[in-house]
Amino acid sequence: MNKHEINDEDLLRKFLNPEKIEKAPEGFTSKTITRIQIETQSAKFNQSFLVKNRVPVISAAITAGLIIAAIIIPAGETESVGSTVWKYLQGLEFTLPVINNTYFREFILPGWVPYAMVGILLLGFFDRALFGLFHKGKNP
Amino acid sequence: MDPKDDIFYILQVLEGKINAFSYLVDKHKDKAFNLAFRICGNREEAEEIAQDAFLKAYRSLKDFRRKSSFATWLYRIVYNTAISLVRTRKNIILSVDEFPADAVDFLNFSSSEEEAADDYRNSLINFALQKISEEERGLITLFYYNELDTEEISKITGISRSNIKVRLFRARQKMGEIIRKVEMKTVFYHE
Repeated sequence: MNKHEINDEDLLRKFLNPEKIEKAPEGFTSKTITRIQIETQSAKFNQSFLVKNRVPVISAAITAGLIIAAIIIPAGETESVGSTVWKYLQGLEFTLPVINNTYFREFILPGWVPYAMVGILLLGFFDRALFGLFHKGKNP
Repeated sequence: MDPKDDIFYILQVLEGKINAFSYLVDKHKDKAFNLAFRICGNREEAEEIAQDAFLKAYRSLKDFRRKSSFATWLYRIVYNTAISLVRTRKNIILSVDEFPADAVDFLNFSSSEEEAADDYRNSLINFALQKISEEERGLITLFYYNELDTEEISKITGISRSNIKVRLFRARQKMGEIIRKVEMKTVFYHE
């Protein structure tokens, strides 16, 4: 520490008294707590419809799913639900396109790998969407 | 657990007892307010900053990882809030001539001579603080008023320890120069 720095340090110590801090105004604590209470209440009030009513929304979705399943699966079928759904899906004539991976001949990846990757990506998006939905109110 | 420990009250707040937070506000309000005030230089704004900081701390309390003390974590919020606010507003650059040479005379209205001298020193420090950058103001406050070491200051500001030392040195130099100039001006005025 050179002489000039010591002088600056001494000068500042002479003028600056750590005990002389600017104190918070009267009623600061009660004002802050009131503000926290008000803002917490309004944050709860402002939550989206889906977040506030997530239990009835989820149960409505499940009910709708069951109604659709009842429409798809005819009554009195002796086959298992799985095979009926599979038949229905086959009836949709939904086919997956063949991916021409000639550029990657050396790797010889199984045909399902690109679909698995797309699936993982979609699940990732789905996971993020659900995380956002259920953590929206908790972490502003 | 010691009931006077911040963690005791933090756990109570996390259990939903909002009133336990008032203990934390009461304990840390003065130093939080002082940090905000020294950075922004205005009591009304400082109150707003300190309140905002406590509100942010309350909202994020569940994310408090206890790697540092609650005070350090809170000062970090206050520091960042104050710095952001100061950067958004237009800074008014004061010249040394703007510090009233007769400040001692005005301040002599205080109840005692010692109090008047204290008030004068405080005004001069506030004046000198307004002449340095907002970051330097924060560093000076944390180092001299909050009496924290460079490691704690580094956690609060996100500036490396070596950089803090350099900036404190520069801030001290600038403030020392301003104080000397004002002091000389005051001496001339009274002669």
